[in-house]
Amino acid sequence: MHHAWIDGTPAELDTAAATAARLLDASRQPLVAGLGTDVAGARAALALAQRIGAVIDHMNADALLRDLDVLREAGVMLTTPSETSLRADTLLLIGPGMTDASGALPLRGAAREGGDSGRMDRRIFWLCPGRDAGAADKITIVGLEPRDLPVLLATLRARVNGRPAGPPPVPTPVLDGVADGLKAARFGVAVWSAAELDALTIEMLCGLVADLNATTRFSGLPLAPGDNAVGVLQVCGWMTGFPPRTGLGRSYPDHDPWQYRAARLIDSGEADCVLWISAYRAAAPEWSRDLPTIALAPADARFQKPPRVHIAVGAPGRDHDGVEHHATIGTLAAVAATHASNALSVADAIAAIEAHLADGPSSC
Amino acid sequence: MLTRITGGRIIDPANGRDETGDIWMRDGRIVEAPPGANADATYDATGKIVMAGAIDIHSHIAGWSVNTARLLLPEFRLGSAARPGSAPSSSAGWPAFEIGCLYAAMGFTTVVEPAVSPHYALHAHLELADIPIIDKATLAVLGNDDFLLGLIHRKESAAAVRDYVAWTLAATRSLGIKVINAGGVAAFKENVREFSFDDVVPSYGVSSREIVRTLQHAVNELGVPHPLHVHCNNLGVAGSADSALATIAAADGLPLHLAHLQFYGYGKEGGRGFSSAAARLAEAVNAAKSVTIDVGQVMFGQTVTVSLDILRQFNARNQARPRKWAILDGDANGAGIVAYNYRSADFYNAVQWAVGMELFLLIEDPWRVFFTTDHPNGAPFTVYPEILALLMSRDLRAQWMARLPTEAMAVTTLPSISREYSLVEIATMTRAAPARLLGLRDRGHLGQGAVADVAVYENEPDRARMFRSAALVFKHAELVVRDGKPTRHVFGRAFMVKPERDRAIDRRLKAYYNERYGISDDAIKVPDHAIGRPEPFELVSCAH
Repeated sequence: MHHAWIDGTPAELDTAAATAARLLDASRQPLVAGLGTDVAGARAALALAQRIGAVIDHMNADALLRDLDVLREAGVMLTTPSETSLRADTLLLIGPGMTDASGALPLRGAAREGGDSGRMDRRIFWLCPGRDAGAADKITIVGLEPRDLPVLLATLRARVNGRPAGPPPVPTPVLDGVADGLKAARFGVAVWSAAELDALTIEMLCGLVADLNATTRFSGLPLAPGDNAVGVLQVCGWMTGFPPRTGLGRSYPDHDPWQYRAARLIDSGEADCVLWISAYRAAAPEWSRDLPTIALAPADARFQKPPRVHIAVGAPGRDHDGVEHHATIGTLAAVAATHASNALSVADAIAAIEAHLADGPSSC
Repeated sequence: MLTRITGGRIIDPANGRDETGDIWMRDGRIVEAPPGANADATYDATGKIVMAGAIDIHSHIAGWSVNTARLLLPEFRLGSAARPGSAPSSSAGWPAFEIGCLYAAMGFTTVVEPAVSPHYALHAHLELADIPIIDKATLAVLGNDDFLLGLIHRKESAAAVRDYVAWTLAATRSLGIKVINAGGVAAFKENVREFSFDDVVPSYGVSSREIVRTLQHAVNELGVPHPLHVHCNNLGVAGSADSALATIAAADGLPLHLAHLQFYGYGKEGGRGFSSAAARLAEAVNAAKSVTIDVGQVMFGQTVTVSLDILRQFNARNQARPRKWAILDGDANGAGIVAYNYRSADFYNAVQWAVGMELFLLIEDPWRVFFTTDHPNGAPFTVYPEILALLMSRDLRAQWMARLPTEAMAVTTLPSISREYSLVEIATMTRAAPARLLGLRDRGHLGQGAVADVAVYENEPDRARMFRSAALVFKHAELVVRDGKPTRHVFGRAFMVKPERDRAIDRRLKAYYNERYGISDDAIKVPDHAIGRPEPFELVSCAH
């Protein structure tokens, strides 16, 4: 059976969906937020948002848009985790957030099919690992505190280009050693997590990577934020032309990272109804203001105050098949259910709500 | 449901037909006039032109690179927001939905996305699935991938290569195979900055020629209808004609398709060391009967270039207009996106425009020259009507040339060319020939049994106006466009081939993905259920 609640009290799915539809119909500025879902869920959520004129945002859009800002403003060279495995003889790790839940660095080395097919030895530099420093083994660590990164990267970039630089946070010979190591790479990859860095630091890093390509090959690997943020970004791109933080209330999609940030819309009172989607984990919204909320979240999700409507959804790749951003090949991939259940998918739950909207089910 | 289009001039070169008459449609197909029957719906096409729906064999409309171009250039949308639908001015920003509407408005009913790296196939198919009205297909890109280069390096059998190609077609649900700067991208990852047909990818010891020849033979021997689709080395540089000529010569009497030949139509003559070599290329194509080409016409205005030739895109990044670019050193081919503005006052851009026109006009056989802008690389597909008008009128071309730099026209043969395309030649180039090239036997013509994809145009002297806005478009016999406006958003399918293979290759690739990447090979397969629409694919049969 399906689980649904109205104001914390168990309800039939159909009743809960009808209540959710009434809330959305009555809203003057609805918001579709969280968006922690697979591609089918994102397509359904965006189609719903287009229909009701909602704003769309993703719970990890801060990190997502930091990387995107650099793409849009500065030019970037990127690669994938799989290509890094195959080719990188040098890794440049930037700041914290490099290790997985077990504390291990997630990037493996692999052999290629060509003539020199032996597994390569890698040089690894790690700038300012901060709290993660203990994880390092056979790694050259330079600097410690992440707050030193902007200056460290700027001076490193200057030294790579043979330019003088002000006093770096680490001794110049150490920095020059790193610069020489990077220039000696055959195929180097700089790895960062945008959740841990600001946009200017990422831009400086991407500039360093571009500069290294004057004489050798180097590329960049931003680690993907969780909750299928990159998968949802792609869906937003092809359905609206824009990333999340886009308003769909006009006759054309309107993207503005400040105006359409979910937390701001709620704090300012502009949004008066939220459809909160978090299928991968029981993530609660970051805002505290009370407003009518419809939650598509796991059955065990706990909220500060029960949402008006909570429809339990399963996790893509566990309860049902789905498509999501794949952490190794760095693009969309199909995932099969590991523990198939009859839990609703986000797309199912949205279809149930749409059936009750005032103007009936959508045509396509 | 029986539908009749009456009294139009039916131009159907595949069936040798050019006459006034009726078209009858039932259950999605063209049928013979049923004796004594009354149509359920009748559309009067008196004085109008009736053709099969047009087919675009090479247009970048979906996938990671197209979508990243959207994200790279949000301002392309801002300036054109809420504009009239008939006047699109942006090129890459259109969401998937608008792409289908804009194509259908011009009478196009099938479009091929020609550059899908295997790992990105699911993404491309998901985007294609959200493009309404038109049918679609992808070409899978091989030739810079570790597995194929390994096969050639170890001199494995032709059968092993065939099996791998067949596995790739099945996994990615593609209609054919493309190779993009064969070996050049893999070499670039090893810091090679220039790569020609007989250059060798360092750590594999394999030349571009070997890669192209190996893939050409595999595709041909598998019976895949569409020949190997080749993006040659050295795209866009002065002297690139030599790369195209070397590739044409290597076709060796077997089918081979060269994409966007305009971008290779450059010699080194003239005061600036940049000139048209279109006449030489056209001569070579005219002589090589097994070779087909599409043009990749340049038109003036803002666009964005998207290509899986990252060596080329890396070298072009400093010419970006505006200065915005992204390079993905991705698996196999990767992708490069570089904003670009073709300016009519720019000598080089004017030569490029003329080279495309020359190729259209100097290649004699309309069955072997295909109509593309390499969207969005030469221009967005929405300029097709203007190009058709130029091909059909030397006076219009003369007006254009009069506004372009004289010294640019002086290094081309365009001013001396008087040929004008007829409507029959246009229908051949945009309907009959593409269907034949792709192996789509029931498309591109209006004979009995064909899928009833039909475009009806006003017969206006202003050909651009005529082709910009079809009077009527039918998809599977259903009216989907009236007076250039979509009336119904049906969803088409993606064509694919699935040639026979030895299943041993499946086990081998399972092991490869597990050992190299620590992942299941399922991660790069496109299952039906992932697309989210009923019957998303249509199988096209192979020759054997």
